[in-house]
Amino acid sequence: MKDETGITEALLRQYLLGNVDDEERQRVESLFLTDSNMQERLLAIEQDLTEDYLEDSLSPADKQRFLLHYAQTPKQQRELRITKSIKDWALAEASSTHATPATVTGVRTVRTWLRMKTLLVPVAVAIIVAIVVAVIWLNSRNKRLAVEQELAQLNTPASLREVPSQMTSRDLTPGTFRSSEQETEIKKRDDIGIVELRLPLVQTERYSRYQAEVRRVGGDEAFTIRDLPAQNNDVRLRLPAHFLYRGHYLIRLSGINSSGSVGPAEEYAFAIAE
Amino acid sequence: MARDSALPPERLDEILAWLNSDRDVAASIYLQLRDGLEKIFIMNRCSDPEWLTDETFDRIAKKVVDLRQTYEGDPKLYFYGVARNLIKEDLKKVKTHASLEELEPQAIDIEFAEETADLREECLHSCLQELSAEKRDLILNYYAKEKQAKIDHRAELADRLNTSVETLRVRVYRIRNALLKCIEQCLDRKVPRK
Repeated sequence: MKDETGITEALLRQYLLGNVDDEERQRVESLFLTDSNMQERLLAIEQDLTEDYLEDSLSPADKQRFLLHYAQTPKQQRELRITKSIKDWALAEASSTHATPATVTGVRTVRTWLRMKTLLVPVAVAIIVAIVVAVIWLNSRNKRLAVEQELAQLNTPASLREVPSQMTSRDLTPGTFRSSEQETEIKKRDDIGIVELRLPLVQTERYSRYQAEVRRVGGDEAFTIRDLPAQNNDVRLRLPAHFLYRGHYLIRLSGINSSGSVGPAEEYAFAIAE
Repeated sequence: MARDSALPPERLDEILAWLNSDRDVAASIYLQLRDGLEKIFIMNRCSDPEWLTDETFDRIAKKVVDLRQTYEGDPKLYFYGVARNLIKEDLKKVKTHASLEELEPQAIDIEFAEETADLREECLHSCLQELSAEKRDLILNYYAKEKQAKIDHRAELADRLNTSVETLRVRVYRIRNALLKCIEQCLDRKVPRK
């Protein structure tokens, strides 16, 4: 097709492949510089030529010429790769529009993935974080359940009647570790498996059952041992030695009346040394 | 390879004034002219198109004061004349080397790249999002078919848009050019060229 310059598309294609004589070349090039329409026309035809190369539609000779002009520098080669990507993308878009779900290609799947990646990655990260948090929480919950079970087992009336060999007993005096002048200190030893603490009852009111809450000072975890019987004027509380670490501990002992409500608490403190 | 030294400002001003009396228009013509000359050097398979483009401007800068008084006609044609001389000089140099290394195209593997195909697609995707929906649809539709099928497809597309295939091609060229630049910049950010 000719325009007002009389230059055909075929001539422009030949020029782009370096296949014209000097006179034609000068004519095309001077128009290319002075006529913006010609400039765009020529570059658009160059775009077609690139497409033909990528589709392997050029003759072997034209392909050689094309490579000489358009694939010599890294910049040109990158432009070719980008043009190929644009074409591939458009073809995949078009085929996915017409394809049934069963015939959607792997390329299309990858493309969809790439498009979704920006959305999916934060979601996947959030899911992984949630799973890790859940695993940690479950793990610590299981540990806590095991400790609570062990504490309950050690402090049943039947267990409290027994005197295990690897047990040490201490009398505590009421008062917090800050107020207590003489805090009871227990040294951890390998031969001690259970620590028995005798908690004297100072309140006049007596209860049939007591509950003790044990907390390490500065820690954020507390364990409650329920249904502790009172014997004479004190309540005995047994703790496994492996449960205790170096530091200060506080016990809040409360009576439980027949209706199940909790009475006023008395505090006891002790320290573990290693 | 671009030169280290730029045109002296007063010479550049003279060139701009010669190209157009409106400085903004002149600046636009100047940039277009640079691109056009570089393309011509590439089309003539010159050894260093960027350097030759700079050399064209340097040579003209030396005479521009006189040229503004004496030259009649489109200044761009004068630039082209200088470029033609440089092409001839460059071809002589190439011929000297041609006996040593034949002018056969090197084996090209366009798939070999610093950037990965994934990265290219990622950039393509983000650059497509920067286009207006109309332009995005047009370019994807234009490239939706290949080989023989694309000819009918593009004729139909042009018909639907009430334009000619040639005009459609130029419109797509502009979109593709913008897309290409966007992708190149995106890749340069992700994989800086060595």
